[in-house]
Amino acid sequence: VVCGSRPLGVRARATVRATIALWVALLGFAVRAAETAPAGVLILHSNQRPTPAQVVIDDQLRTVVTDGFKRPVQIFSEYLDDEWVSLQTYGAVEAGFLQQKYGGRNIRVAVTDSLPALRFAMQFRERVLAGVPVVFLAVARDRVDRASIPPDIVGVFEDHDPTPTLRLAQRLHPGTTRLVVIRGASELDRLWDHRLRAAVGRLGNGLEVEYLAGLPTADVLRRVGALSRGTVVFTPGYFVDGDAQVSTPRQTVERISQASTVPVYGAFDTLLGAGIVGGYMTRYEDQAREAGALVVRLLNGVTPAEIESSPVARVPMVDWRQLRRWRVDEGLLPAGTIVRSRDPTIWNQYWREISVAAVVLVLQAGLIAALLVERRSRRRTATALEGTQAQMSLAARAVGLSSWIWDTARDVARTTPLARVAPDPSPLQPIAFDRVVAAAHPADRDSLKRAVSMAQRTGEELDVEYRVVAPGGAVRWISARGRAEEREPNRLLGIALDITERKLAELRASEDRAALRQMGRVSMAGQLSAAIAHQLNQPLAAILGNAEAAQKILGHQDIDVKELRAICSDIVSENHRATEIMRRLRELYMHGDIKIEPIDLNQLILETLELLRTELLLRHVTPVTDLATVPAIEGGHVQLQQVLLNLVLNAADAMDGKKPAERTLTIRTESAATDVRLHVEDNGTGIAGEHLKNIFNPFWSTKAEGMGMGLAICQSIVASHHGTITAANNAHGGAAFCVTLPTAWRESSLT
Amino acid sequence: VTQTVFLVDDDAGILKALSRALHGEGWKVQTFESAEAFLARPNPNDDGCLVLDVTMPGFDGFELQRRLTETKQYLPIIFLTGHGDIPMSVRALKAGASDFLTKPVQVQALVASLRSAIEQGASARKLRAEVANLQRRLASLTPREREVFAALATGKLNKQIAADLGVVEQTVKFHRARIMERMGARTVAKLMHIAARLGIG
Repeated sequence: VVCGSRPLGVRARATVRATIALWVALLGFAVRAAETAPAGVLILHSNQRPTPAQVVIDDQLRTVVTDGFKRPVQIFSEYLDDEWVSLQTYGAVEAGFLQQKYGGRNIRVAVTDSLPALRFAMQFRERVLAGVPVVFLAVARDRVDRASIPPDIVGVFEDHDPTPTLRLAQRLHPGTTRLVVIRGASELDRLWDHRLRAAVGRLGNGLEVEYLAGLPTADVLRRVGALSRGTVVFTPGYFVDGDAQVSTPRQTVERISQASTVPVYGAFDTLLGAGIVGGYMTRYEDQAREAGALVVRLLNGVTPAEIESSPVARVPMVDWRQLRRWRVDEGLLPAGTIVRSRDPTIWNQYWREISVAAVVLVLQAGLIAALLVERRSRRRTATALEGTQAQMSLAARAVGLSSWIWDTARDVARTTPLARVAPDPSPLQPIAFDRVVAAAHPADRDSLKRAVSMAQRTGEELDVEYRVVAPGGAVRWISARGRAEEREPNRLLGIALDITERKLAELRASEDRAALRQMGRVSMAGQLSAAIAHQLNQPLAAILGNAEAAQKILGHQDIDVKELRAICSDIVSENHRATEIMRRLRELYMHGDIKIEPIDLNQLILETLELLRTELLLRHVTPVTDLATVPAIEGGHVQLQQVLLNLVLNAADAMDGKKPAERTLTIRTESAATDVRLHVEDNGTGIAGEHLKNIFNPFWSTKAEGMGMGLAICQSIVASHHGTITAANNAHGGAAFCVTLPTAWRESSLT
Repeated sequence: VTQTVFLVDDDAGILKALSRALHGEGWKVQTFESAEAFLARPNPNDDGCLVLDVTMPGFDGFELQRRLTETKQYLPIIFLTGHGDIPMSVRALKAGASDFLTKPVQVQALVASLRSAIEQGASARKLRAEVANLQRRLASLTPREREVFAALATGKLNKQIAADLGVVEQTVKFHRARIMERMGARTVAKLMHIAARLGIG
């Protein structure tokens, strides 16, 4: 509002009076106008016609002010045409024009949209906008001396330091080494030189920089069309090129980025969409919004002194299409980056409809699938069941398997014959368990009952073997396995297998083993016959000698009764000797069941050596015993003696080639934890390394006349005592056998 | 003349029974429980007969036999074993044993064997004495006489011997007469017999 009065000159008083009258009249009009007209806001744009930036600013200001100021407000936009006509020279005319135009418009706040507009306002405001506070925006912080700004001019600065944008470019295009800066030829364009030099210095990472400053657009386009990889372009756009051609920054940037072979970065958000990748931007809408807020505050009566001018924060902004064009990994974007121009997808546009449709589809499909799966699985189960039953039936027939249900509570009439296959998979009928028991061999009935009641009590698997007597009197062995039903423990469900053949085979094998051992003993007895005959002849010779001496005495006149008695006593004891030898010999030939009894291993050794006494004498082998006190072991006397005989005779064989005086046979016992160990060591030929692993194999012998069964039998005997037998060579030559037998093991029979 | 029977056996029962039986038959008996004990007997010059067990700890009967022969103790030996086989008996007899008996042995059989062994022993001793006498006589010959004796033993004539030795026949005849006198042979045939016993020729 032009409401201030100018001091009057000292020229003609009449003129002065007339002027005063005019001003008073004018003032009266103005006051009336001000009183009647709504509050006005004048936006001063520096350009001739709206650039995209100015459109954004204008629209945003109008929106913010209209919405923020609750009373009627009139907003005017003026375009100062600074790029065509220098306001330096033309400003006064413009000011007069504006004064004429808006003098009566109750202008309460003016807004400048750029630095030229602000300069113009500062220069001519006394004439045009006296007393009206001015709000500026889009003024680079580094372009104004803040001290020169009057206190009633406030606003928002923008930060044009390109450093963050250049950093962003390097971040998005790793391997960037070269920067091409393009600016125009106008004064406004030249502002960028200083900013860019400072920014490149700040980056300090050896970026090679080329300035394309004030070139004709054609040259610029040619140059950017030939850039190589590793280069990025930065341009704020320009208004005037080297040929003084005028355009908008957006237009220039569009052409540059189209021609460019490398990514282009820019300074303003209005350039987004024109082909730049992006940058740190002060968005004009942000500036306009903040400036608009200041306008509203001033309209509401806040004084400019209460307002402090401040810069607007910048945000990283990128063009999604350019990211695609230059194949930028979106993962490299800083947090909070605004991505513009993303292709709107069908999803974006119709996500609600799609979601609903999808949910419906999924529900329907799920229902259909569930029905299909159920039908299919039912059919498959049925098929599988049939197949399994057929297979089971086949397998059962093949192995003589039958299934059964035993009922321990009820007496059920229907039975399925044992050990016969049910030919069809018809449901089984329970069998009364009493009948099963009655069919069993009398000797096995108790154990069968015990096993079944145990299975019922514990719920564990039933596993029992018993015999049944067939009507003809033939005995069959049955193996039954089953389980009590959880819901009905009186019922047991299971299978039965006729194992008669296996049992017979087992018995035969056991008999074979026993026979083999027996044979081993007999062959050993044969081997020992000479020695045993000799041994037996000793007491016989003594008996004969004594008897003949007695006869002689009896023929004498005076009978020496005392001598006779001594002779008889000797005969008796010699007879005992003979009997003892015969007993041991008989043991070797002994046949039949094996008696398990506690055995004193040391005693067994001494007895065996007694049996072997003459044999060893004949072979010039003197055994040495080293017997520790050992606990008794459980075992078969005859079998363990057979082991010892074998080992001792083998040792004697091994020493045949040595001089009689050098033959040593050592038999040791020792106690080791819960085991007892028996060592038989000789200093004979030892066991060749390659034979060590075979030595316990049946029919394996190094002796010309050997059957190769001795050690195999030893091993089987020791194994049946739950012990181990090992063979090794002594350090000083000869073989060392070690038999380890546990002191405690429980088993009802040896096999 | 009562001869001593030396019983060697590792079986005390046998020693006792046999010594009783032999006593009963009027023999003097000494018992030893091992071959070593016999070798260490207090009166090694006592005459008699050895009844020896074959199988004994330490050294056995054969070993004892060998050692006795080595030390020229010519006792007759009867082996008595619990279990004898033919190779064992052959070995024993070849080594000079009188007999090889097996246990149990009847005392009469043992006594008969003892008598025979002692007889054999006596005649063997007599032969040994004769040979020893002849060897002494042979030792009294001069070297030249022994030379002539050896030549005679091969059946050479006096003339041949004279030619061989480069002497006249008369000298050979003189040597022969002296040899026959020294060796106690009245005829040349007798001298030839002596030469055979001494292993000359």
